[in-house]
Amino acid sequence: MIKVKFYTLLRLLIKKAEVEIEVDKIKIRDLLRLSQEAAGVKFFHKLLEDDGSMKTGTIILLNGKHISHIDNLDTIARKGDVVSLFPPGGGG
Amino acid sequence: MKIKEGKLLRINLTAQTTKEEGIDPQLIKNFIGGRGLGTKFFYDEVDPNIDPFSESNKLIFANGLLTGTDAPTGGRYMVITKGPLNETIASSNSGGVFGAVLRKAGYYLIIIEGKSKYPVYLHISNDNVEFKDASHLWGLNTHNTTDKIIEEIGEKGTRVACIGPAGEKLVKLAAIINEKHRAAGRSGVGAVMGSKNLKALAVKGTNKIESEDKDAFSTEVKASIEKIRKHPVTSEGLPALGTKILDSIINENGLYPTKNFQFSTFEFCEEVNGEALVNKGYLKKNKACFACPISCGRETQLPSGRKGEGPEYESGWALGANCGVKDLIAITEANFICNELGLDTISAGATIAAAMELYEKGLIKKEELNNGPELKFGSSEAVVYYTRQMALREGFGDKLAEGSFRLTQSYGHPELSMSVKKQELPAYDPRVVQGLGLNYATSNRGGCHVRGYMISPEVLGIPEKLDPLELEGKPKWVMIFQDLTALIDSCGLCLFTSFALGLEDYTKLINAATGYNFSIEQALQAGERIWNLERLFNIKAGFTAKDDTLPRRLLEDPIPDGPQKGAVSKVETLIPQYYKVRGWNEDGTIPTKKLDELEL
Repeated sequence: MIKVKFYTLLRLLIKKAEVEIEVDKIKIRDLLRLSQEAAGVKFFHKLLEDDGSMKTGTIILLNGKHISHIDNLDTIARKGDVVSLFPPGGGG
Repeated sequence: MKIKEGKLLRINLTAQTTKEEGIDPQLIKNFIGGRGLGTKFFYDEVDPNIDPFSESNKLIFANGLLTGTDAPTGGRYMVITKGPLNETIASSNSGGVFGAVLRKAGYYLIIIEGKSKYPVYLHISNDNVEFKDASHLWGLNTHNTTDKIIEEIGEKGTRVACIGPAGEKLVKLAAIINEKHRAAGRSGVGAVMGSKNLKALAVKGTNKIESEDKDAFSTEVKASIEKIRKHPVTSEGLPALGTKILDSIINENGLYPTKNFQFSTFEFCEEVNGEALVNKGYLKKNKACFACPISCGRETQLPSGRKGEGPEYESGWALGANCGVKDLIAITEANFICNELGLDTISAGATIAAAMELYEKGLIKKEELNNGPELKFGSSEAVVYYTRQMALREGFGDKLAEGSFRLTQSYGHPELSMSVKKQELPAYDPRVVQGLGLNYATSNRGGCHVRGYMISPEVLGIPEKLDPLELEGKPKWVMIFQDLTALIDSCGLCLFTSFALGLEDYTKLINAATGYNFSIEQALQAGERIWNLERLFNIKAGFTAKDDTLPRRLLEDPIPDGPQKGAVSKVETLIPQYYKVRGWNEDGTIPTKKLDELEL
């Protein structure tokens, strides 16, 4: 089981803290699709461009590490992992 | 009046005289405005070795090039002085509306000199300037001060920037507060104002500020606003959650300093993050500054009915996780106290956190607290109580009022102050973000994130994602961010526009406003010039390369928890590279060749 956690604008949109996806091994891009189904709320447009690539500023963490330093949306998540999703954010 | 022309108003509080002076247009071209122009005048007129509380210190209110115009977020101003907290050049930035109104009164700079024999406030209404007795206001908080002055003056459109009791009592963390909730917060600029017996500036301005080419400026303004309205950070993230959008981001990335930087994740973040401020119902409304399409300000109200603005991300962190406090009500109350009494939230929270660690280690004794609550990490009561005590210099608060470095030093443990050049670090652990660590170490006012916000590329991924732990290329990135920030500050625009706008956009705005025809390189070089001038001041004030460093904990102790467990700062490797990239000598001084290149 992989935990997918929603933060910031996603949390306000989906009104859930997380969903659990019952898979042992999956690419992040496929995990996002399953998470959207499990959440019951469309949220891809907050994270991804129309062509499916990550928006500039979208943060997806695998156990606290940004997937752009692993294998982007082809990064593999495994049973027991935590994936955290953030739409673009900023401040100071 | 034209954007590229401007006057300054020189005010001598000792003699109660005022004098208008023109500003050489070449100075505006070289130093842009605001932070740059104010720093230039400050550098030329003030001995870097003076005591910040001496009458020889000056206080310069400086408007940016585009303050008061239609440029998006064009309402910001700087307060420039020698900071009592850090003893470096201090330039503290604030938003709201005050800056725009001051610029419309006709002034780029208000240079305040000397010391009044009794408390006064300045009333500036276009070119009419009066000294008004403020004896009846001395001791009042910033809200009551603002209300009373506006009532006394009776002129619609008057805006007030003032100090509260913290500034009057020379608290080294004292801020200048405008419109009750906006702060020129850092470095103790409010205490300099207090040392001059200056309670407030009340300003009304009605002049129109005109660009060189109205059509071109209007086109660039529209284009900038459109970019800001399209970018997800400035059009969705910041409006919905304000700067507290960052709590979850920073905590889940494992760089949310907790309990005086002893840890880097806070287990109670969900209780106090931006989402909580919304979901608990404390956020009532957004608030925008002058000409701002973003509207990241938070009008908040607690269940008790107490209301105000904020907390912002830094404030919420400093009074929250950094003190181990998970009570959003207490955090918000302490934030309101800072605004009302005129205190910098970051330094206030960080100083209390340092005191909590001293107490935890048995170095501060219970008997010293004058029956105040114990200074324990996690104590909501302590955070609210000691914020107030600090602002009023009452009880143990008198020691806290000196800031974390002097406090910890007095107990023989200065290494427990998480500060650089005696100014407290803000809400990001530099052991994880190497570029930000370099910015912390080299910032001209000490512990500061905003002057080179490397969090943007290293954590947020804007404009592109850098690996925060990597060292390669970071010195150059830091330099560019520092110089670009100096340029944006000098334009009087909000740094949050830089999520949506780039150097090219700012250059186009400047050129349309002034007719200068800068290339982007020339525009960025203006920022470099300003950065180097600030450093020159600090060098003359006695700062050396050994001051470009981080607290020992962050240099030597690996992060003990969270996803970045084991990370250490490599800033000592980066600094020599940074000096080289800046064209400085190996000892951090600036060679004549670089000064000539920058026409300094």
